[in-house]
Amino acid sequence: MISCTEFIPAYSELFKYLEARGGRDAVVRFWEYLSDTFLGNLKSAVEKDGLRGCWVYWSHTLNEEAANFTMELDEEAGFFQIDMHRCPSMARLIELNHLEPYQDYCRHCDVLYRRVLEPFGLQCDVDLSRCHEARCSLTVTNRHVNQATTSDPADEGV
Amino acid sequence: MPKETMHRTASDNVYFHRDFHGALSASIDYLHETYGEESVREYLWQFAKAYYAPLTASLESRGLVAIEEHFRKVYELEGGTVRFDLSEDELRIEVDACPAVTHMRRQGYGVARLFRETTGTVNEAICDDTAYRAELVEYDDATGRSVQRFCRREQP
Repeated sequence: MISCTEFIPAYSELFKYLEARGGRDAVVRFWEYLSDTFLGNLKSAVEKDGLRGCWVYWSHTLNEEAANFTMELDEEAGFFQIDMHRCPSMARLIELNHLEPYQDYCRHCDVLYRRVLEPFGLQCDVDLSRCHEARCSLTVTNRHVNQATTSDPADEGV
Repeated sequence: MPKETMHRTASDNVYFHRDFHGALSASIDYLHETYGEESVREYLWQFAKAYYAPLTASLESRGLVAIEEHFRKVYELEGGTVRFDLSEDELRIEVDACPAVTHMRRQGYGVARLFRETTGTVNEAICDDTAYRAELVEYDDATGRSVQRFCRREQP
């Protein structure tokens, strides 16, 4: 049996296996499949509660994954952000001395979540520039709210 | 509604996200559907050879007690009823219901048709190139109930 605490190395090794079989495209196709078939919880949460659905979804997963993070939700400003101070997945991979993480491991988060969120009109920005340190950020903004709050006051009432 | 903030450090929680079992199952189904049955075994074999290399080394140097210790930890963490029977040349592990399958059934996740390979192929790969071999004696796809056997390879 593979424990759920051993899933992350299994996941990383799967990316390597897929890349060896079909190149980078094969890895991305798998991420898209997983997004479509496995992120129903996130999709239904956002469908029901909009940006708050992100808060609800990640409150559950990030706590179970014992992540070191700061999460912010400002519904009036149409803003949600996860500032990941230490990603539990990448941190585990870095700590394994006998296994190299898949070279673009962290990209899966960008592909998986963007694919769920953007169809709801939410903009998804992922900063992976420090992912080699197990740090990253995910910012989700509601374009409609942002447009309304940043529009020219002169336009109001038109 | 005012701005809300949540801050957590790693020590605030225990690392135990059971839904990863569902993600592994979905991954196995994907491989099965996209590349065929043998790709599932090939991938799990490669993963197990790489990830469990320290366990394989421990099996070589310490014998079957290394396997027993490993799986005791896994099943203590994951839960479920498990019996271990270790003798000098054989280890039998009887699992009443696989905790991963139990979780997936409870949550309504599909269980991959080849999910049994996460036990069978993985155990075989752990034993590869050692004096021991693994055998999945029984496995029930509905519950993950299993009898797993590790024993010395027959001498040529």
